[in-house]
Amino acid sequence: MNDRIDDLIAEHQADVHEAPPAVVQRWHDALDDAAAREQIAARPARSDFHPRSFVMGLAIAATLALGIAIGVFIGDDGTDTPVSVMTASTSAGDMPDALSRGLQVHFRDSREQIMSLPDSEDRTMLVLRIIEQNRMFENVANSSDAPKLARVLRAFEPILLQLAADDIAPADAEALQAQLAFELNVMLTKLNVGSSDDSHTT
Amino acid sequence: MNNSSKFVLGTALLLLATGSLAQAQSSDDESLRMTALEALITAPPDRALPIVDKVLAGNHSAELKERALFILSQMETPESQARLLAYANDSDGELQVEAIRMIGIGGDKDAMASLGEIYRNGDADVREAVLEAYLIANDATAVFEIAANTEDEDEFSEAVQMLGAMGAHDELRELRGRAGLSESLIEAYAISGDAESLRELAMDSSNPEMQERAIESLGIVGGDDVNKTLMEIYASAANEDIKEAAVEGLFIAGHDEGVLELYRNADDPAEKRELLEYLVLMDSEVVWDLIDSAFEESE
Repeated sequence: MNDRIDDLIAEHQADVHEAPPAVVQRWHDALDDAAAREQIAARPARSDFHPRSFVMGLAIAATLALGIAIGVFIGDDGTDTPVSVMTASTSAGDMPDALSRGLQVHFRDSREQIMSLPDSEDRTMLVLRIIEQNRMFENVANSSDAPKLARVLRAFEPILLQLAADDIAPADAEALQAQLAFELNVMLTKLNVGSSDDSHTT
Repeated sequence: MNNSSKFVLGTALLLLATGSLAQAQSSDDESLRMTALEALITAPPDRALPIVDKVLAGNHSAELKERALFILSQMETPESQARLLAYANDSDGELQVEAIRMIGIGGDKDAMASLGEIYRNGDADVREAVLEAYLIANDATAVFEIAANTEDEDEFSEAVQMLGAMGAHDELRELRGRAGLSESLIEAYAISGDAESLRELAMDSSNPEMQERAIESLGIVGGDDVNKTLMEIYASAANEDIKEAAVEGLFIAGHDEGVLELYRNADDPAEKRELLEYLVLMDSEVVWDLIDSAFEESE
């Protein structure tokens, strides 16, 4: 099963619709660059070099926006047929096993990481890594024709981005962590129940 | 449903349905209610919906009600979507914002269509929530309509930024034709990774300010082709501003090899000094050799 997860991920990573690795890398680098610019800006000017605020803003905006630049190539969602039980549509029952199991790991790991986020600069990088992972599963969900799941994953990102901000108030961070933990738990439960039902019926 | 799920669900139904729990105030009780609400995801909608209704109508915390909306979003029945729409229309504050977000998650076409009117009648928070719902549902057309029809610069900027985040190249290009060029659009082109549009603008000297912004923004998109373009722009720059914009772009793109090449090709000491500063900022490995050699040459 792990091989299937690996295959699915590898297949996805080779997908032409995925964000170019260079863009993802730049997403990480932009934060470092911005930090470097801030450090330099705090020093006395040594020359006629004047970093432009627009560029600085752009780099940060791009960092943040790339974080929410998800589902760029998502196809038509279509009309979703209502289901009779809650676990029927986004459950493990209508997606590949590898995706279902991978998602369970992703939801569980994300929840644990979010609930124990460090109160430091490391927090930003950790949250950005969660976003990156989340985006990968969102793209896999799209390619696996699971648009409802993709929407849920996409909905996590604005919250994660707020959590990644280094100027967020502790109380706000706590509220966002609680919200994410709840929603991740719900999705995890939904997947688990779907898997359990599948195993009983097969 | 297996036995453990049934047990959890039964406990949840009991906890949420009892009035005594609703009146409890301690954080432990709140946590218990959250857990009970979470367990509702395992219930059939016809069992869960009345309980969610009770939570939403009861004297509970805003957080609990917001979580209840998430459960509603996962039911995906006409009834649950109608509830979400009602809260998006008739509630206020965080509950309304959260209901709008849940409509985006649900993606129901009728509910999504209703967001347009909610946007028009809403305040800044509501409008932001609607834009986010469109992003979650990946409805670039709806965001485009907002950008194309507004006279308000801030509103236009926010919609355009959202289109950038959605990677909506076609819509952004069409907006340029309709609304003209702006800094917001250039930023959105960069965020969406539209190097083609930026390259075109970077070569257009009719508006020097926008040209410089486009050149810098190419660095956000990055990649070998962009690096090559920025090097060419630097080499053929008609003035210092364009040169500076090009090297800013290279800096943002992290193309230290390109900046090093420019440094080695530069004859002017001031230009060399500035390029060296960029290399320092870029934390390039080669910079130490350059500094070392600079001192050697001076000895």
